Amino acid sequence: METDITLDAVCFPSDDVVAREIEGEIIIVPLVAGIGDADDELYTLNDTGQAIWQKLDGHRTLKDVATALVAEFDTPLHEIENDALGFAGEMVRRGILVASQKKQ
Amino acid sequence: MTSTIEIQQFSLWDKLRDKRVPLSFDIEVTARCDNDCRHCYINLPEGDKAARERELTVAEIGDIAEQAAKLGAMWCLITGGEPLIRPDFPEIYLMLRRKGLLVSVFTNATMINEGHVALFRKYPPRDVEVTVYGVTRKTYERVTRKPGSFGMFMNGLNMLMNNGVRVRLKAIAIRSNLAEQGAIAAFCREKTKDYSRFDPQLHLRYDGDPMRNGEINAERLTPREVVALERADGERMKSMQQNCSTLINDEFTHQGCDHLFHCGAGNGSFNVGYDGTFRLCSSLCQANTVYDLRKGNLADAWFNFVPRVLDMRSHRKEYLDSCRSCPLVNLCLWCPAHAHLETGELDGATPYFCQVAHARADNLIV
Repeated sequence: METDITLDAVCFPSDDVVAREIEGEIIIVPLVAGIGDADDELYTLNDTGQAIWQKLDGHRTLKDVATALVAEFDTPLHEIENDALGFAGEMVRRGILVASQKKQ
Repeated sequence: MTSTIEIQQFSLWDKLRDKRVPLSFDIEVTARCDNDCRHCYINLPEGDKAARERELTVAEIGDIAEQAAKLGAMWCLITGGEPLIRPDFPEIYLMLRRKGLLVSVFTNATMINEGHVALFRKYPPRDVEVTVYGVTRKTYERVTRKPGSFGMFMNGLNMLMNNGVRVRLKAIAIRSNLAEQGAIAAFCREKTKDYSRFDPQLHLRYDGDPMRNGEINAERLTPREVVALERADGERMKSMQQNCSTLINDEFTHQGCDHLFHCGAGNGSFNVGYDGTFRLCSSLCQANTVYDLRKGNLADAWFNFVPRVLDMRSHRKEYLDSCRSCPLVNLCLWCPAHAHLETGELDGATPYFCQVAHARADNLIV
């Protein structure tokens, strides 16, 4: 499934998953059937994914998130924007994140 | 940036285990059951009002689960008694799932209805484990002592399986269904791919009811019968032979130590009884080893109480010279919990367990 996520998108965790933080790691536990590609799965995030996830508060756009992360990662903005788009696209495709366009 | 992992490959298991985190817990939401199985170690009648009144409420279960999740628990088993006997089972189940727990359910399947199936389809359990007491009405109901239960079991099982709920089957081998063990195994293998479990040994009841314990004793197989069943299961026998070196310890690894507990109890899991009693494992009921979660909290139980239990010792010579240093302990049902159920003492010996263990060892060594 293709997703059309843009930097104006506001992403937030789906009600169909439960995200837990254990020992500093974010674990995403699917709650309903059909999340992800197979049964019996959990999801973990790498450092970048985790940093993005923690800033997805349902208000910030992906652009806001990327901007906030520039200082943390000492990486050019466009690279972080690409990471955020890739991450959000994958998570939306899996049903873990929900995306909406920010209302002007 | 995202990794999909199967639960078995979950690297956090090892990381958490090293820190003595309660990764999993069992919760007995009731001791009541619609069946009246001859061999059961816990069942109370369905209408037992006193038992029902002692059961944890949904809110109490939620509170315990919340505490467990905060301590790192990932996996929860809902068991009983028969969990589906509670009308609020769906609420309990969904609440535990919403805590981010992976939930398994033990049930006899007789009370499965369309609502349960819809619940499991939408919010899948890790698995639903069903015990097959027999594959004919006569045998099944000889065990359960409930007329009509076989039909209800088959109906429930078929509803689960026809709707794609992940079901695992297991069997218990007792006097009342011994003649049907081959057919039970064939039934299980036909229904599910991963059947390999049957339990040929029974322990006594948590409540110590002498009449019911007498019934359990009457259902126990002889050592020779236990061995014959294991020999008849080629897969099980092969696995036991391959693991012979770990099952039989030539030199006992904890020689000289007088600690009672050398198992994994209290290291990564715990059990909650239907009345809020915290136990290190489901069978460990001795008064000094249980903690009332209704009066305390899980962190206190886990971090303060459990270490005190694990530090319990026995200086009894009979114990130190026998079970404590027996090389067959891994083939034996003996453990402090089962010893207590059998003898009233955590360090008591049980000749029946001993006889079965020696028969199993002889069978492996030959």
